[in-house]
Amino acid sequence: MAAPILMPQQGNTVEECLLVAWKKKKGETVQSGEVLAEIETDKATFELESPAAGTLLETFFKEGELVPVLTAIGVIGAPGEAVDSFRPVPGKKTASKKETPANIEKAVSKAGNAESRSAEAPAGGSGISLSPRALRYLKKHAVPLDRVQGSGASGRIIERDVKRAYEAASRVSPLAADFMAQGFRAPETGSGPAGLILAENLRKPGKQLSGIRATIASRMRASLLSTAQYTVSARADATTLVALRKELKARALEITINDLVIFATAATLKGFPELNAELIDNTLYLYDDIHLGFACDTPKGLLVPVIKKCQTLSLTEQAKETRRLAEKAQKGGLTPDEMTGGTFTVSNLGAYGVTSFTPVLNAPQVALLGVCAITPEPVRKDGQVTFIDTIGFSLTADHQAVDGAVAARFLQALSGNIAQIRSLTGPNI
Amino acid sequence: MYDLIIIGAGPGGYEAAIHAGRKGKKTLLFERESIGGTCLNVGCIPTKTLLRSAHVFSLVREAGKYGVSAGNATLQMAQVQERKNKIVSALGKGIEASLKKAGVEILRAHAKLANRGKVEADGKTYEAANILIATGARPALPPVPGIESAMASTAALKLAEVPASIAIIGGGVIGLEFADFFAQAGSKVTVVEMLPSIAPMLDTDMGKRLLSALKRKGIEFHLSAKVTRVEAGALHFTDEKGVAQTINATKVLNATGRKPVVNDLGLEAAGVEFSGKGIVTSDEGRTNVPGIWACGDVTGRLLLAHAATREGLVAVENMFGGTQRIRYDAIPSVVYTDPEVASCGKTEEQLLKEGVPFRKALVPMGVAGRFLVEHEGQAGTLKVLVGKEHGEILGVHILGGPAGELIFGAAIMMENEMRGKDLFEIVFPHPTISEALKEAILHAE
Repeated sequence: MAAPILMPQQGNTVEECLLVAWKKKKGETVQSGEVLAEIETDKATFELESPAAGTLLETFFKEGELVPVLTAIGVIGAPGEAVDSFRPVPGKKTASKKETPANIEKAVSKAGNAESRSAEAPAGGSGISLSPRALRYLKKHAVPLDRVQGSGASGRIIERDVKRAYEAASRVSPLAADFMAQGFRAPETGSGPAGLILAENLRKPGKQLSGIRATIASRMRASLLSTAQYTVSARADATTLVALRKELKARALEITINDLVIFATAATLKGFPELNAELIDNTLYLYDDIHLGFACDTPKGLLVPVIKKCQTLSLTEQAKETRRLAEKAQKGGLTPDEMTGGTFTVSNLGAYGVTSFTPVLNAPQVALLGVCAITPEPVRKDGQVTFIDTIGFSLTADHQAVDGAVAARFLQALSGNIAQIRSLTGPNI
Repeated sequence: MYDLIIIGAGPGGYEAAIHAGRKGKKTLLFERESIGGTCLNVGCIPTKTLLRSAHVFSLVREAGKYGVSAGNATLQMAQVQERKNKIVSALGKGIEASLKKAGVEILRAHAKLANRGKVEADGKTYEAANILIATGARPALPPVPGIESAMASTAALKLAEVPASIAIIGGGVIGLEFADFFAQAGSKVTVVEMLPSIAPMLDTDMGKRLLSALKRKGIEFHLSAKVTRVEAGALHFTDEKGVAQTINATKVLNATGRKPVVNDLGLEAAGVEFSGKGIVTSDEGRTNVPGIWACGDVTGRLLLAHAATREGLVAVENMFGGTQRIRYDAIPSVVYTDPEVASCGKTEEQLLKEGVPFRKALVPMGVAGRFLVEHEGQAGTLKVLVGKEHGEILGVHILGGPAGELIFGAAIMMENEMRGKDLFEIVFPHPTISEALKEAILHAE
């Protein structure tokens, strides 16, 4: 007569036990009292003896799984007997098979653990798997888990592993432990006797990125991960640009160098539709309208308002719109619409004297123009060296969509337009 | 070519030499005077030997208090000196034996730095990968007319008889220990100190108690006093009110402090950064010149033998690949007067000045039964300072009883950053005076 092998109840508080190892295989015959499996609770390891003589007909759990108490882990009986009626209902009683990363984190932080425990290891979901006794040990001992090799079934970390790691690891002074409970982070060894980690060796708790900073972080990371970006740089003759700006200023027109550069950029982009584009899932989307985003340094961090249909605006209109958006960005109050939909971006660090940089793409856009400072450059003219004002450009492009020669031709065209800026703006501004 | 050349065989140099020798490093040790340096020959050990004799003398005179009748006690200075010399000599031989056993080569010569990695002595040049300067300090001579007519500590240690009276310039550790010795030995002692307090590095609570204990022994103190002139048998000074005074004394002792031995060492030529206050070193024992290290009094840091030893060992560790540093905060110090004063860590005044929030406990040593048994009627106080938030031990100050023998406990706790409450789990033997230390720390906690 077939009978279930139940996970025994070990005391009132134990809800589940770890099936460490099967000592018999499915199909083997066993005597009554023979060891069937090795079981571990958070307090002890013990052997599960067979309740009867017969054949191990079925096993319902694998080694390393957590099994709720009084659940059938297998069936013993005569060959050929049906076992399905003993099978535990999945998901109903069976406990989660592994400790969740969150649980592990909790256990570890309780132990006031070191910086090596930071986000990446458990969150990586690579399945740090801990035995209940190991977990219990961790509640009292700080152990850098990412340096622990599990020696249990399928790499599961058992008590022996964490104990060994603890004994090998640097110790922490009682004072340092106090600080670590507040989130301070420890190095691998300290400067106290025999490498004791002292309070002065600790690093302050970090501050999680939030709000705009967190958004910027994830966008930038995504940009670098999903694109093949590169930057090409060039300098353009800025003599006319500077002269024009001076003239506009004298006429009290609020048009800046940046406005003139954006104007020239939009004009140049018309001839380079492959740069006014987005690359999404291996598909290149070219846009007729140039929605030009420009990077703004605001108290909250980087914001990129977008000048819609930039190619349709006159210089005055464009300058006005840029000013409106920039002021809103500084004060806070840009609508989501004003910050989305860009097809190309300009980032200007020229005011800080930057002569060249590698802007990060505003992905999925395929190109971004970095604008640099106006500096004097020597040029040879009539056998003599004279200095002229030049402006630097650093164009970042995604090589998946834009080859280097295209980027270079764009810079060349832009440089030409900057040098001849009056022919773009026309005589009547 | 040596792995290490050490200049100076005091507690900084010889311990470093033994350590390096035991590590199998080819080590050469230069000493122009006596092995053991100031500490063994003219410092710690001889003064403690004299103080012990004086203490036994006092004890015998007080024997009645313990129900012991001991007749008329006398202090035989010649025998005291003989005993001192014997102990110094025995310890010196012990050091030489240890050096020999560690394979250290010793040269009795004045050595100085030559070019990089080179040392000159007796016209010969020696080369080494590392040079450790451990030349110590010597008594300072303050700019006072006639100061050369006063004895320095070295001469005071050799006195064949107890002077009827002695005037001591300086109320620091050296001055106080000599004052205590001569007072117990029967001299009329006067101490003239420039600062408003004696032993200014002590916690004020301890300094005040020490001052009154020493006054009770009949020592006269003139604080905030400025010595104006010294002559054989007389000391002239202006007291705190600015009034000129003269003390007539059989002997005058100059105990105004010690200054690092930095001259005639070739430091300038080697480019080693130093000043009158000593050679500048890092907490790892490095000077500004790679391969040249310094430890002990010559660095002008702590002027304590055990600090010199630790600095020397740390330097040796670091020159051969280690990464040690000295934790100056937890170096204990002891004043061997009776009552003895020992301290480790910060004083209350330092914590107030640094703005560190703290809690404190001031506990009489009499809370430990053994103190009453052995030191009845004597001064005994413990002061413990712990961090306000975490209760970590910031300073321990002990006056009375075997203070110097207890303070290591505080050093261990501080080096390991134990909190006061961690002491709950440590058992102290009963009855011992150490119980008072536990009591004080838990009280502060």
